[in-house]
Amino acid sequence: MKARPLDVAAAGTLLFALGAGLLVPPDAVQGDLQRIMYVHVPSAWLAYLSFTVTLIGSVTYLVTRRMRWDHLAGAAAEVGVVFTGLALATGMIWGKPVWGVWWTWDARLVLTAVLFFVYLGYLALRRSIDEPEVRARRAAVLGIVAVLQIPVVHFSVTWWRGLHQPPTVLRPDNPQIDSPLLFALLMGVAAFTVVFAALVSRRKELAEIEDAALAADPGEEVAGSAVAAPRLEGGTA
Amino acid sequence: MSLPRQVSALMRFELRDELRAGEVGLIVLPFAAVALLIIPMAVGIDTPLLARIGPGIYWSIVLLFGIVVTQRQSAVANPAARDMLRLLAVDPAARFAASALASTMLLLAFEIAAGGITLLLYDPTLQSWWWLVVLLPLTAAGLAMIGTIAGNIASGLETRSSLVPLMVAPVAVPVLLGAAQATEGLRVGSGILRWVLLLAIVDTVLAVAGVLTARPLEESAS
Repeated sequence: MKARPLDVAAAGTLLFALGAGLLVPPDAVQGDLQRIMYVHVPSAWLAYLSFTVTLIGSVTYLVTRRMRWDHLAGAAAEVGVVFTGLALATGMIWGKPVWGVWWTWDARLVLTAVLFFVYLGYLALRRSIDEPEVRARRAAVLGIVAVLQIPVVHFSVTWWRGLHQPPTVLRPDNPQIDSPLLFALLMGVAAFTVVFAALVSRRKELAEIEDAALAADPGEEVAGSAVAAPRLEGGTA
Repeated sequence: MSLPRQVSALMRFELRDELRAGEVGLIVLPFAAVALLIIPMAVGIDTPLLARIGPGIYWSIVLLFGIVVTQRQSAVANPAARDMLRLLAVDPAARFAASALASTMLLLAFEIAAGGITLLLYDPTLQSWWWLVVLLPLTAAGLAMIGTIAGNIASGLETRSSLVPLMVAPVAVPVLLGAAQATEGLRVGSGILRWVLLLAIVDTVLAVAGVLTARPLEESAS
C-alpha cells in the first residue's frame, strides 16, 4: 500500500505531538500521570468529531442518495468507536491512581460508555445488512437519531456534580491550563484529527471497493459451493 | 384520505389489535411486575433504601420493558400489510405517527400500571406528584418514538430481536435521565423544570427525525 500525503502528515504530526507530550514539564499536582491527558482529551474530542461527521454523512446521504456519504458516515463511526474506547480506557488508566478506582459512577463516564454502545449498535446494524442501498438508508436514520447523545455527554459535567472535571480548554473564560501544557494538548488534538482524517479516508476507500466488488459480481460462488449434497442413486427401491 | 385521518385509522387498528392479543397487558406487564418483585431480593430488604431507589428502579423497568412494548406483534408491520398500505398510498409519515402514538398510549398505560405496583412494593414519597401528569406522557412518547424508529430500521432483519434492544436502550438514555432526574427532584422537593424541558426537546427532535426519515425507511423496507 502506497503512503499518501495525508498518511505522512498523520505520522508526522503524531510524532511531533508525542514529542511535545513527553517534553513539556509535568503537572504541578499530578506529575507525569497528567501526560495521559494528551491522549485522553484528543480521543474524547475525536469521539465527538467522528459522530458529528457520521451525522453529516447520514443527513447528506438521505438528501443526495450518493453512496460516498454513507461510506463517510460508516467510516467515521468505526473510527469514532475506536477512539471512544481509547478515551474510556485511558480515562480508566488515569483514574486508578488519581481517584483510586478504575471505574466510578460519574455522569461523564457512564454517558461516554453509553455513547460507545450507541455506535456499537450502529456498527452492528451496518453489519446486519448486505444490500448497500438498504444498509445506507437504515444506518443514516440511526446515525441521525444517535447524535442525541452527544450534547447530553458534553453537558453532563455541568448538569451533575461528579468526579470528572468540567471543561478546561473549551470554557467561556480563559482556559485553566498553563501555556506549555495547553500547547501539548492542542498538538495532541491536531495530530489525532489528522490521524482521524487519514483513517477515515482509508476506511471510506475500502468501503467503496467492497461495494464495487459486490456490485460487479453479486452472484459469485463461494468456496465449497461446487460440492453437492450426497444423494441416493440407482432408482427406487 | 387526509394525513390525520390516516394516522387515526391506523392507530385505532393497532390499538384494537393489541386489545385482542393482550400482549402488553397479559405478558409484558406481569413480567415487569415480577422484575419489580425480584430486584429487592438482590438489593436487600432495606425498606428506607428501597423507598429511595424505587423511582429509579421503576424507570429502568419502564425503559427495558418499554422496548418489548414497542416491539410487540403488530398486524400492520408484516410485509403483506405494508405492501397493502403502500398500494393504498398511505403516507409513511402517517404510519410512523400512528405506530408511535399507539405505542405511546400503550406505554402510558404500562407506566401507570407499573407505577401502581412500584407504589405498593417500594412506597416512595413524592412531593408535587401531579408533575407525573406531564412526565409520564413525555417519557412514554420518547420511548415510543425511539422504539418505532428502531423497529422500522431493523424491520425484516434476521438479527432484529437482538439488534433492537441494542439500538433502543442506549439511545433512550436521555429520556431515562430526564424522567429519573425529574422524579428524584420530586422526591427531594427540588426544581424539575430543566428535566421536563430536556424530555420535551428530546421528544421534539425524535418526532421531527421520525417524520423526516419515515420515507427513506419505507423505501428500504423488505
